Amino acid sequence: MSEATVILKPEELQPAGELARKTLEQLDHILLGRQELHRLVLIGILARGHVLLEGLPGLGKTALVRTIGQIFQLEFKRIQFTPDLMPGDVLGTHILQETGAGRRELVFQPGPVFTNILLADEINRASPKTQSAMLETMQEHCVTLLGTTRPLPEPFFVLASQNPIELEGTYPLPEAQLDRFLFRLIFDNVDTGVLEQILTERRRGELPAPTWRMERGELETLFQTMGRIHLPRPVARYIARLVSATHPGAAEATEPVNRYVSYGASPRAAIAMAESARALALIAGRPSVGFEDVKTVAAPVLNHRLILNYQARFDRLTAAKLVAELIGQLDETGLNLPKDVELASSQPEG
Amino acid sequence: MKFTHPQALAAFSHRLERLLVLRSALQLATVWFFVWGVTVLALKMAGVRSVAWLTPGLLGCLPLAVYAAAREHRRRPAAGALRANYDRLNECGGLVMAGEVADMTEWEARLPGASVPALRWHGGRTVGLLGLSLVFAATAWWLPARYTTLGARHTLEIGALVDQLQAEVRLLQQEKIVKDQKAEDFHKQLSQLKEDSSAVDPDKTWEALDHIKESDTAAAKQAAEEALAKTTSLAQAETMAQAMAQAEAAGLNETTAGQAAQNLAAMVKAAKLEDGLFSSELPPALLANLSSLSKEDLDKLMQALAANKESLAGTVGRLADHRLIDPSLLAQCRAAGQCTNPGALAEYLSSCTNGHACSLAECLRLGKGGPGGGGPPAPMTWSDGTSEQDVKFKEQVLPPATQLADAKLVGVSRAAPQLSANDADTAPGALDSAAAGGGSAQAQMILPEHRQAVRDFFKRDPQGY
Repeated sequence: MSEATVILKPEELQPAGELARKTLEQLDHILLGRQELHRLVLIGILARGHVLLEGLPGLGKTALVRTIGQIFQLEFKRIQFTPDLMPGDVLGTHILQETGAGRRELVFQPGPVFTNILLADEINRASPKTQSAMLETMQEHCVTLLGTTRPLPEPFFVLASQNPIELEGTYPLPEAQLDRFLFRLIFDNVDTGVLEQILTERRRGELPAPTWRMERGELETLFQTMGRIHLPRPVARYIARLVSATHPGAAEATEPVNRYVSYGASPRAAIAMAESARALALIAGRPSVGFEDVKTVAAPVLNHRLILNYQARFDRLTAAKLVAELIGQLDETGLNLPKDVELASSQPEG
Repeated sequence: MKFTHPQALAAFSHRLERLLVLRSALQLATVWFFVWGVTVLALKMAGVRSVAWLTPGLLGCLPLAVYAAAREHRRRPAAGALRANYDRLNECGGLVMAGEVADMTEWEARLPGASVPALRWHGGRTVGLLGLSLVFAATAWWLPARYTTLGARHTLEIGALVDQLQAEVRLLQQEKIVKDQKAEDFHKQLSQLKEDSSAVDPDKTWEALDHIKESDTAAAKQAAEEALAKTTSLAQAETMAQAMAQAEAAGLNETTAGQAAQNLAAMVKAAKLEDGLFSSELPPALLANLSSLSKEDLDKLMQALAANKESLAGTVGRLADHRLIDPSLLAQCRAAGQCTNPGALAEYLSSCTNGHACSLAECLRLGKGGPGGGGPPAPMTWSDGTSEQDVKFKEQVLPPATQLADAKLVGVSRAAPQLSANDADTAPGALDSAAAGGGSAQAQMILPEHRQAVRDFFKRDPQGY
């Protein structure tokens, strides 16, 4: 038993779990029919990652981000990305102003990126120049202009959205920027029952105000507890093997991976997966990560990080299918039992 | 019994190790039984008669089981991996895994109930192979030596054939067709072949058997042909005797009767019934007085001839039953034994008043004639080539015809043309130098294959009709 490893006690984990539960409860109450998506978005926030939301207009992407800002009581700003949007419009710019002493000097006017939650709406409509301006902010949480580096307020999350249709006049996000997003979440249409509930309970679609809001200190507590979630060595090895297996030619790469993948996921993906699994364990009220946590977050972590070749496009194979197939084939523990010996769960004895 | 998680984890580890040991032991035992069986077979094929000393080798699977246990214990999964699997299968969410590095006592209440994960071994293939190896080892052990000896010691399965040949030889011996000494030689030879026949060089055996078979067949055929000839003679003599008996009853001229009796005696003598393989037995008193037989003697003679004929028919029938002769030969013998219309002959004898029965024998020999039986048989040979004389087309070069350009205009007239002596020099026709057709306008062509038959037809003995 390692002396350095300290596992959270139940009473230590319980407040954080309660905060997460309340947050999800509020989200599910305000935004109907997207429980699983809310859980993943909360995981992204707890893992301090950025989330790319992909879906058609009118599905509630902005409402989700606004509601999150309200619940966490964080500053929220929105940028509508257009082709003529310039980096200065995002990061801020220096303006020549006259001081009280009658002198004129350049004063930095912060852009909308200086916020806690930034909704980058239709991010793929901005030019590559503007998109690249987001790279430093997303990874380093700071902005460097004219040699001066200015930190962004913490916490800082980018929740970007992009429209999968109307691709004319868009600039697909480069792989380097995609890799900076923790998750890519797909916004699907809600089913008829939920839609009926929205029509009957939400006048003009107005969202109810949150009945509970998280204090700034509570959010900090949540982050601190999140940092103490234990990642067991076998689970860490599983994450490493899973990410490694996404590379064609790797030892445990499956046949479809070798056939359809040009480039696999980066080490950043492994880190993102571990952090996401930690967040999921926290939400579940557990002090350590299990294999099922990894399996849950593997698809949203990996599906935008796998670069598929043209053969995959021809065969209409998506990254999500590849990841699901990979998870199905990879043995979690690497026990390497003979093929004719199989393990299965059993009913409790006694 | 209720497990705690550490107890369930320990039980899981032990069960898994035991299963792997059992699996490995069965696999090694399978290999061992195959090797043991191959060894037994190899020794048997190498000529080792007794392999009982190999029996203790079967116990070699016991040390193999010990070795399998040691090997699987050495290769058993790491404790961390087992713990991770236990955590995963019991859906402990990493709490059991975390117990490896930290004290998780306070979390035990949150854990699901402890249970030992189930182990499923799809061992059908392993058990099947083990069973197969056991069957192979048992088969190798109990396999008779004759199946394990190499080809040099294999004998040919010729028992049935030898039995058949021995039966044929016994028949030929009983029918006096083959002498006793020769038959004994054949029997010894067949017995020796049955024992010494080898699969390595079966040609010698088959050649020897063929030789005996050919000898049997040749002897039987020779006997059958002799029986056919004698049956023919006996039938003729019997026919003659029956005709004489009937003619005497109708009133036969003495001279004719004497000539007929002489003919009968000549026929019996010419038949040489006492010679050859089947020496016919006619009463000596009858043979001595063939020229002057009374009615009672004729009856006795006919009975004796019929008895001999039946004896010959029986012998030929038995040869045919053993397939020593061709069925057609049997049919010939049966046909030859039929008397050919003694009534007509008796009528002829009665009509002969001044002794013209000298050609009776020829009459009997040549048959009754008629459309179906006329003429001597034409020999059919297949060995000589067919003559192509008068059949193959012979090319003849025809003289060139006169060209129209070379024609001479002798005049134009409305009346019949008048030719002078000088203008009458006609050119030779195309067929002028062709060979003549032999003087016959309609030549009848006889095909080569019919030529000999036609020639024989016209060479018939004029005395026959």
